[in-house]
Amino acid sequence: MPNDSMFFYNLTLAMQSFKRAPTLYFLIILTLSIGVGVMCANLALVNSMASDPIPEKSANLFHINMNTWPDDQPPDEPMHILRYRDAMAVTKSNLTKGSAVFYASGVYARDAESSSMKRFDSEVRATTPGFFELTNAPFAYGSAFENSTGMEIVIGDELNQKIFAGKNSVGKTLELDGELLTIVGVLKPWLLRPLFYHPTEGRAFNLTDDIFAPLETAIDLGWSIHARSSSAVNYTGIEETRDKDVYYLQAWVELADINQKPALQSYLDNYSQQLKDAGEHPLAIKNELHNVNEWLKVNKVVDQKVLAFTLASVLFLSVCIFNASSLLLSRFHAAKFEVGLRRAIGASNRHMLVQGLTESVLLGFFTGVVALVLSWLFLKLSVQFLPRLANIAVLEPKLLVLGMLLALVTSIASALYPIYRANCYSISAELK
Amino acid sequence: MLNMNNISRIYQSDTIQTHALRDFSLRVNEGEFVAVTGPSGSGKSTFLNVAGLLDNFDRGQYELDGVSVQGLKDDELSRLRNEKIGFIFQNYNLIPDYSIFDNVDMPLRYRGFSASERKRRVEQALEKVGLASRFKYLPSQLSGGQQQRVAIARALAGEPKILLADEPTGNLDSLMARQVMEILHNLNNDGATIIMVTHDPDQAREVNRNVQVIDGQLADFKIYAPLGRSSEVKSKTISEAASAAVAEEVENA
Amino acid sequence: MNIKALLKSLLLRKFTTGLLILQLSITLGLLINSVILALDTNNKLSQETGLDIENTLIVSLRPTSGEYRNLDYYRSIVSEDLHQLSKLSGVEGVSLVNQLPINKNGMLGNFYDLDDPEIIRKDKYLRDVKFFISNENLGNTLALALLEGRYLTKDDQRDFGGNEPGNIIITNSLKKALYGDDSALGQETNNGRIVGVVKDIMLDPTIPVDKQYGVFDNRSMEFIFTGRFYLLRVTPGQVETVRNKVTDTILAVQAERDIYRIITMAEHMKRFYRHDKGLAELFLLLCGLMLFVTAISSYAYSQFHISRQKKYIGIRRALGARKKDILLYVLTENWLVYSLGCTLGLMMALGFNILLSQYISLSKPDIMLFIFASVVIFIAGTVATLIPAIKTSNIPPVIATRTV
Repeated sequence: MPNDSMFFYNLTLAMQSFKRAPTLYFLIILTLSIGVGVMCANLALVNSMASDPIPEKSANLFHINMNTWPDDQPPDEPMHILRYRDAMAVTKSNLTKGSAVFYASGVYARDAESSSMKRFDSEVRATTPGFFELTNAPFAYGSAFENSTGMEIVIGDELNQKIFAGKNSVGKTLELDGELLTIVGVLKPWLLRPLFYHPTEGRAFNLTDDIFAPLETAIDLGWSIHARSSSAVNYTGIEETRDKDVYYLQAWVELADINQKPALQSYLDNYSQQLKDAGEHPLAIKNELHNVNEWLKVNKVVDQKVLAFTLASVLFLSVCIFNASSLLLSRFHAAKFEVGLRRAIGASNRHMLVQGLTESVLLGFFTGVVALVLSWLFLKLSVQFLPRLANIAVLEPKLLVLGMLLALVTSIASALYPIYRANCYSISAELK
Repeated sequence: MLNMNNISRIYQSDTIQTHALRDFSLRVNEGEFVAVTGPSGSGKSTFLNVAGLLDNFDRGQYELDGVSVQGLKDDELSRLRNEKIGFIFQNYNLIPDYSIFDNVDMPLRYRGFSASERKRRVEQALEKVGLASRFKYLPSQLSGGQQQRVAIARALAGEPKILLADEPTGNLDSLMARQVMEILHNLNNDGATIIMVTHDPDQAREVNRNVQVIDGQLADFKIYAPLGRSSEVKSKTISEAASAAVAEEVENA
Repeated sequence: MNIKALLKSLLLRKFTTGLLILQLSITLGLLINSVILALDTNNKLSQETGLDIENTLIVSLRPTSGEYRNLDYYRSIVSEDLHQLSKLSGVEGVSLVNQLPINKNGMLGNFYDLDDPEIIRKDKYLRDVKFFISNENLGNTLALALLEGRYLTKDDQRDFGGNEPGNIIITNSLKKALYGDDSALGQETNNGRIVGVVKDIMLDPTIPVDKQYGVFDNRSMEFIFTGRFYLLRVTPGQVETVRNKVTDTILAVQAERDIYRIITMAEHMKRFYRHDKGLAELFLLLCGLMLFVTAISSYAYSQFHISRQKKYIGIRRALGARKKDILLYVLTENWLVYSLGCTLGLMMALGFNILLSQYISLSKPDIMLFIFASVVIFIAGTVATLIPAIKTSNIPPVIATRTV
């Protein structure tokens, strides 16, 4: 339906303009959308990597680094892995609202009642029960185990899908490396990007674990350590480690009030000082508390290669804008007769400006649509090239909006100078 | 000097054939000042384009300064234009972002002269049109008349055999037009062969031969002044004759 | 009024030319650095490892059943695995090991001569020496080149649970660190007595080549649960045949195992560098796109100037310029722009290199690369502008007398 408004008139003009020089506008849309697409794909990666996985309490959760290595040659100072007795000392503090002490392991799992002998490779988090409340782990069925001992486990959604087809499996028994453990809880699908509770050893974008087992049980069963460990002494199995200088446990605490942080700090420092006074270590008192975002930053979870590529994408986008700008300039130059004519019959400078902007907004819209398709493609492509990004290459809705905005902004940015130029052509020069 | 015999120029569009020139014949002798007049669309511009080797023709023979031009290659035509012809256009056709010096210098570069030779010729040519002091100016900083004089200097610098002028005063007010015409007359007096397209009957009457083009053909010609004077100055090139006309240089307002 | 118009026209040209120069320089900067990344990765992949990477197969596996918690059972199965694998045709040697060379981190420990424990304070790499828990066949299987002493033998396997130090062999760089040019044979260290020294192999590519400290002992039967990798030395040309038989052979011995990877050492090395390679390829891809966009720009720039200069080209033609003069004129103008772009691009390349090196490690640009990249830009630009340039040279001189 024809519409009298200036807006629709301008829109029609823009469409006519596109039709008049289809190749040129195709090139403009193509280059701009490639640029925006690459940029958007990159931002999606950076966004996934840099986001706060537990915004509701990231400021209240603290990862603990301690400095208790028994001689003067510690692997790190302080260390992010603790020995059993140091970690237990942390849990005993009454300053905290909750705590979690854990290590990562792995077992092969099967339904003990099933006739199939197929076993599933499962990532294990051997942890104190406080873990679930501290990380806000979402339960689908059942609940957390109550103690650090006992043959009870909580399993993740993925393993529950694989073994029990997603049904409520509370009460069922799994055979794990020859031992029978009972499921007391099943989690909902749980995505943590990044995996804040274990971002070390390049695991920041691993999936959440398949099996959560009581810490003491896992130690007793000798489930080996699948993450970094350091030891000042020789040992053969993890079951011997409780009173040895073997460092492998990570500790998190939750503070109800972050103002208690200094108190917790001095609690830890006191503990270290006591050890030092007893001659158990020669090191400086150096304990560190990092909240979630600080800890992610310390561990550089934002992939440096992706950052480097982002830098290149920014340059690329600017080249695309420059390109679109010069293409538009030549288009507007070719249309200067028409501009002159319109000005001569009474269109104001503002009219022409609005007309030009309408055109570039429409251009930006088309660009945005193409760019979003391309950015999805680029994401797939970058996972091909950098496979470890597989778990984070997702286009969230806010990225889609951002991509669209980026397309509009770039399109308008590249049209600004050409529009200005076009309106500077003198009327008389074009009409003789 | 210039000898056209039964020249035809046909413009072909999808449906219509237009005979811009039909069996056009004209002979111009050395030293003549010929004015070409005619209503618009008559073919006088086509004639000038063909004469200046800017445009080709479909039939007939054209001999310029003893060289038969039909069948010449594009590069050879370029060379002829460069060496034998000086153009003066209605709208001057100076390159706006070149200085006056560079504008006059341009055809000399295509001629392959050495830098010193070019400099000498540019200065000499500018001297003749009275603009030697302004060689650093840009065209837009000069008046229309001055710009046209630069264009004349550019045409003279290559010491051509023949000057082709297309409405040289068309864009000028009468005072400036007068100056330009005086330069052209002085050049002619000193032996230059000039062909000028004009629609101004007064200007046409001033020159020694007037040719009228109608419908692509020569309509008539009248002789306003005796012919043959130029044969004595054969050895002279036209550019040596220009200086007198600019004696009374009028400053541009 | 006239001066204003002139300035505007100049600014117009400056703007488009400036844009193109910026684009060219950014493209050049990215191109140079991408090629650097690609070359760096290639260099890494082709560096000398001291291993026959093509003919060494790695089998990564883990038992899946609880039976294996009985270590004697575990040992008997592994022994049978190794025996069966060694019988495969095309297999020249089989061993098992706790970790692979060409890897970061892994099982590390400090290492010093019992007479000089303080040395680890001077050389921090001595605190992170790689420990290979293996058996007597490792030397053969990896074709380690013996420099002095002997390989480990069956007799070097110690009693399980014993605490007395056993015999070990070490890499040459570790020997040099502890004993310089003296012989290391018979020396007692905190990890055992040295009976042999082998030529360095690439243990951890992220540390210097002269710090490839490694220790090999014969304790894999004792710590059987650490034996996550079987290594197979394969007759050249037989890799695929052997690879296809490995899974069946192992599972025929005992089925409750998870064999999650069977790859050659060369593939393992590629995996180690795949992210470097991936990044380099991403950069090259972006370069390709950027060259494409810049070529479009160069084309548009030429087109634009032709449309603006049509009349002036006509005048030049009327005044005697030949077609090739015009062609040369247009190309020279473009080449001038490319030269400016490349000059600025050199700075861009350096700046971008510095910026990138904050995130990743890469070599510095060199002059040959700059010349190479400039040639690419010139060729790409000339190709892109050749058609407009030829079109320009075809502008007929008669344009000059037209009044529009």
